[in-house]
Amino acid sequence: MTEPGPAGRRTSPRVLLVHTITFRQARSLVPVALAVFAGRGFEGGPVTVAVLAVAVTVLSLLWAALTWWRFSYDPGPTAVVVTRGLLSRSVRTVPNDRIRGVEIEAPLLHRLFGLVRVRIDAAAGSVAGKDEELLVDGVTRDEGDRLRAHLLARRAVVPAEATGRHAAAEPEEEELPRFLNRWLLYSPLVGSYLVVPLAAVGALFRLLDELPDRYVPELAPDLARQDVLDGWLIAAVVAAGLLLLALGSIAGSAVVNWRFRLLRRGGSLVAERGLITRRHTDLEVDRIRGCAVSEGLGMRLVGAARSTALVTGLGDAARRGQLLPLGPRDRAWLLSDLLVPSPGPLRPHPPAALRRRLVRALTPGVVVLLAGAVLNVTSGWWPLLLAGAVLTLLGWPVGHARYTALGHAAGPRTFAVRSGWLVREHVVLQRRAVVGWQVQQSAVQRRAGLATVLACVGAGRGGYAAIDMAADDVVDFAEASSGPWAATLRG
Amino acid sequence: MSTAPLPVREPVWQLSRSAIALWVTQGVIGTVVYGLLAAAFVLFVPTGDGWLEAARWAVPAVVACYGVVAVFVRPRLRYRVHRWEVTGEAVYTLTGWLTRTWTLVPISRVQTVDVTRGVVQQLFGLATVAVLTASSQGTVRIPHLEVDVARRVADHISRRAEQVRDEAT
Repeated sequence: MTEPGPAGRRTSPRVLLVHTITFRQARSLVPVALAVFAGRGFEGGPVTVAVLAVAVTVLSLLWAALTWWRFSYDPGPTAVVVTRGLLSRSVRTVPNDRIRGVEIEAPLLHRLFGLVRVRIDAAAGSVAGKDEELLVDGVTRDEGDRLRAHLLARRAVVPAEATGRHAAAEPEEEELPRFLNRWLLYSPLVGSYLVVPLAAVGALFRLLDELPDRYVPELAPDLARQDVLDGWLIAAVVAAGLLLLALGSIAGSAVVNWRFRLLRRGGSLVAERGLITRRHTDLEVDRIRGCAVSEGLGMRLVGAARSTALVTGLGDAARRGQLLPLGPRDRAWLLSDLLVPSPGPLRPHPPAALRRRLVRALTPGVVVLLAGAVLNVTSGWWPLLLAGAVLTLLGWPVGHARYTALGHAAGPRTFAVRSGWLVREHVVLQRRAVVGWQVQQSAVQRRAGLATVLACVGAGRGGYAAIDMAADDVVDFAEASSGPWAATLRG
Repeated sequence: MSTAPLPVREPVWQLSRSAIALWVTQGVIGTVVYGLLAAAFVLFVPTGDGWLEAARWAVPAVVACYGVVAVFVRPRLRYRVHRWEVTGEAVYTLTGWLTRTWTLVPISRVQTVDVTRGVVQQLFGLATVAVLTASSQGTVRIPHLEVDVARRVADHISRRAEQVRDEAT
């Protein structure tokens, strides 16, 4: 029972050092220890501290050793078996053909010891939702590469690889257009990267809250003593805050995206990224169903974009599918075209769609304007009226921009739809990606001769819509963009 | 009903007529629930002046309008709109009443077929067939078929799906 199976392998013993240093297993004891000290009072001098440190380290080492000794993995010809558990043993078997992706991570300490962590993604059906993951923590880099090659090799040569050894030469590598670190400067314009420094600020405030009052520097009385806060001071504080936010977002995106590289290795795309933790992610080219190029409002100002592959059955697809986290628009398109050929220029949607967009964009402004007018007459309160006027004026360009974003195109092997204003998303999908069509027509759309067509896809968000296209074009578009079965829609 | 041409054709088959009775029942249940809430509102909200007094009248009026629509109008409209069809290669439905939704799924991409019977559905001997694909949004639901029809349809679709399955998702 103690021995791993005949073919079972252990992780590298060096991982013991990593886990001892990080107190990976002993971390759970810290609260207990704290409680004990709090109860008994801490009176010891430096000797006690040293003894305690040694004790904790030894304990941590022992725990790590036990865990290491009880863990084994066995990449067999048909399935991976991972056995683990200190007292209750758990044996998990994942058939090789259920493996959807293998990701290799190298956090800082692992890198120092030449180790990696291998995540094996065996997602259940997309309907079931919950992904299953196997984690093999602490194998040498070579073993990690071998494991990945073995797990992903099955498609090329299924039964011949009975030995499980993958001695054949690595398939040729081809580097796709390179990511330049200076593109990280675009990050303050991307919403998701701005969230990182904001979260940090929030955490800081929470920490300040927790600290006893006497450690918090007394800023408030100073400020209160000033009768009128200087306008310049406020401006300076706001400017400094914005600058910090921008720097923070660049730093946050640099940690994740540093030296992003995309390689084509045999039948898969390998993405490498990260400053502190390096990650290798494998995407099978055969599972790619389409590509999305998205440009946020701020990114459009400077001509930046990001592109993401839409891959079937990929857990955490938004991050793992990234082909270009940030970059100039033409680079994003280069990558997208490389994987999924473009179907040609988009066809604009009929003028009725523009009318709908304008009505929608103007309605909130007009409502506020009317409410403001009523208030102005009854109580002479004008700010709401002003806000309504501004909103109404803004609604006009927004409606137009929303309309210009709309478009669709059907090519010989692919089709494309585009929509969105805050984030404009241009999605190119393969014909075979479509697993269903959904046509929607509201009463208003019916009168305007419009319809919204949703292509249901087993990848990405699950469906991509051509909003408000001409109702007469629906059947032609659906038929040109998917298999002959779509002819069922024809009357 | 409307003269504007449809964007795509209508599926051929209508639902069973008991679907109307089912929707009427659901409308009645909904109206009763909202009616109780409205009664509670009128009973417990103190008589005030201005807009509070207006709300005491508006809330029951809105509920009454909802009741008329949900019991007398919506079920019939729904019945007129709803259509379904299973061809050799696809499952095709049309649902909705004001906003209409046509859904088409090729049988080659079908992953699972479910038959479900809700509590109210059981009263009327009806069942819903749900056809699931790899896409979270590409699910076809054929609501309110007679139970034996639903079973036969589900059987047919899953048998046909085995014959023509396309492994790619």
